[in-house]
Amino acid sequence: MRADTTWHLRAATDRRPLVLLASLAALVLLALLALRLGYRPVDWADLVGALTAFDPTDPEQIVIREIRLPRLVGALLAGAALGIAGALIQGMTRNPLADPGLLGINAGAAAGVIGATFLLGMAAPGQYVWMAFGGGALGAAAVFALGGGTQASPARLLLAGAALTAFFLAMIRGLVLMSRQSLETYRFWVLGGFDDVTLGTLAALWPFFVAGVLVALAAATLIDALALGEDTARGLGVNVGGAKLLCGLAIVLLSSSTVALAGPIAFVGLIVPHMARAVMRQDILWLAPCAGIFGAGLMVLADLAGRSALFGGTMQAGVMSALIGGPILIWLVRRTGGRRL
Amino acid sequence: MQTLRFGPVSLAVHRRPLIAGVGLLALVALAAVAALLIGSYPITPGGIWQALTGRADAIPAMIVLDHRLPRILTAIGAGAALGLAGAMVQTMLRNPLAAPDIIGFTAGANAGALLAVLLTGGMILAGALAGGALAAMAVVALAWRGGLDTYRLILVGLGASLSLGAAADLLLSYTDENTAADMARWLTGTLHARGPAEVALVWGGLAMLAPIALWLGFPLARMTFSNDTVVGLGLPLAPLRLAVTALAVALVALAVSVAGPLPFVAFVSGPIARRLTGSGGPALPAAALTGATVTLGADLAARSIPMVQLPAGVFTAMVGAPVLVWLLWVQARKGRL
Repeated sequence: MRADTTWHLRAATDRRPLVLLASLAALVLLALLALRLGYRPVDWADLVGALTAFDPTDPEQIVIREIRLPRLVGALLAGAALGIAGALIQGMTRNPLADPGLLGINAGAAAGVIGATFLLGMAAPGQYVWMAFGGGALGAAAVFALGGGTQASPARLLLAGAALTAFFLAMIRGLVLMSRQSLETYRFWVLGGFDDVTLGTLAALWPFFVAGVLVALAAATLIDALALGEDTARGLGVNVGGAKLLCGLAIVLLSSSTVALAGPIAFVGLIVPHMARAVMRQDILWLAPCAGIFGAGLMVLADLAGRSALFGGTMQAGVMSALIGGPILIWLVRRTGGRRL
Repeated sequence: MQTLRFGPVSLAVHRRPLIAGVGLLALVALAAVAALLIGSYPITPGGIWQALTGRADAIPAMIVLDHRLPRILTAIGAGAALGLAGAMVQTMLRNPLAAPDIIGFTAGANAGALLAVLLTGGMILAGALAGGALAAMAVVALAWRGGLDTYRLILVGLGASLSLGAAADLLLSYTDENTAADMARWLTGTLHARGPAEVALVWGGLAMLAPIALWLGFPLARMTFSNDTVVGLGLPLAPLRLAVTALAVALVALAVSVAGPLPFVAFVSGPIARRLTGSGGPALPAAALTGATVTLGADLAARSIPMVQLPAGVFTAMVGAPVLVWLLWVQARKGRL
């Protein structure tokens, strides 16, 4: 390694904690702003009051506590989970175009949720989240089996994901089109958004997000070894099969919990790791937390934009990210030429 | 191989494609008869015949002539148009994965048609044509980098499909509940409640476009070779590609405007037809018949579930997704992916 390269890397290493802290601070500011902004503007005094000394008789504080806070926490959790899942799946497959949404994992989890609610009559998020895991795990297993595992080219994995998504989507549509009422629920849920997130949903689902992040951290310590190739990883003493399974588990936990919370949201997991890589480089232990913060910020921004007057207040965060994400996918394809990371 | 001669024109006829074509034709006819017979209102085969010849009572006549027959004819027409378009584009790009419904043409036609309906209340075909053409131009332009790499085109098309799909979902969320219920079915691809207007549109369009497509099939058969060989054979490569793309967009728009974006019909027809005919070329007539069979079969499956009106697109997707997986597997085994 040449001397100037070494220096460059060390300089980058020194800056990374600072970048992480700065983006965390920016995220907190953004979150406070998201609580204030909305159809009914709230001043800072009410905001602080609602967060520290809640007064149930004050309508402004009720708006914050009952509507905006669950929505914000939902967006933060979903964005962070998708960002981390995206960083893991891209690191694991060395595929710059990987994303839980594009690879059919979200669609599998969505099929699980729809099946649980319409066929088995499960209404509580704490119940149907298990079906989401089942569907998501099925999707992940299928996409890696069909897409040629972690050794496949990005194009093949992506096309396998598209096939799976189409298949699950056909099943979902078949289920929901059977009744008018289920279509009404579904056509907003499937766009992905935080309109229906309540404190109850969050209370039921937060342990799954925490579990997902913990498994992801454990998996992240092994990904850099995996990225060197399976033989090298084995030579380094890594249990390759176990490492892949752990990564897969983390990805399924994170993306399926997000689907159970907010519906299938694609592209956040695709875009965010690329943004994070621009400041954090390849090291996954820095990349994953940074992707989590960036993902949370992007999701809050998408939700803010979606409920702003710009789109008549009806635009779902998931549609927003798909509309922006498609062109970014095309840009990535042009830039990377579909090659591996 | 036999040779047919009509004065100055001669045509080579191979036995296997002929058998495959006749077999597919028989399959379409069989499915059509089944579709005429099956339904919530029981009509005997004799009753169907009386209705078709105009000697039946008012109610069976109305059910057969106004409901079942237009639905069948629309399914055959839309399926044939999609099959033709799919086989043409797949042959031109020399890759079965590069079908109009994967590389964004269908999604563009669909979004265009939806937008036209929302803005004007009609003009479906014009909207579908404009949307499909814009999507095709955008995908080709974005995938172009000193040449056209097929896998880059497929990936760019996939991105465009996803964005356009999100745009269609967004348009859907702007409509009221009643329109949304109809549109959600249409977005999946449906043949429910098709009438004489749709039949006239799709068959009129096919009567104009199918002869051009079949005629283009002859130079297309030579496009299975490399670009250099094609140019060496004296074929005008660029005009040919333009003509094939324009025709494929028109055919897809035609099908989308009568039946919605029936997923994967364009994609599965070409490879299945090639297998059946054993040919390396585009096998356009067989692809059209395969498309018609798949669409009619999917609609039959959709109709055979009682009490609910499931869109045929649900079933074409369930057939198409496994075929996509199979093709991926084949291509990966050949080391092309």
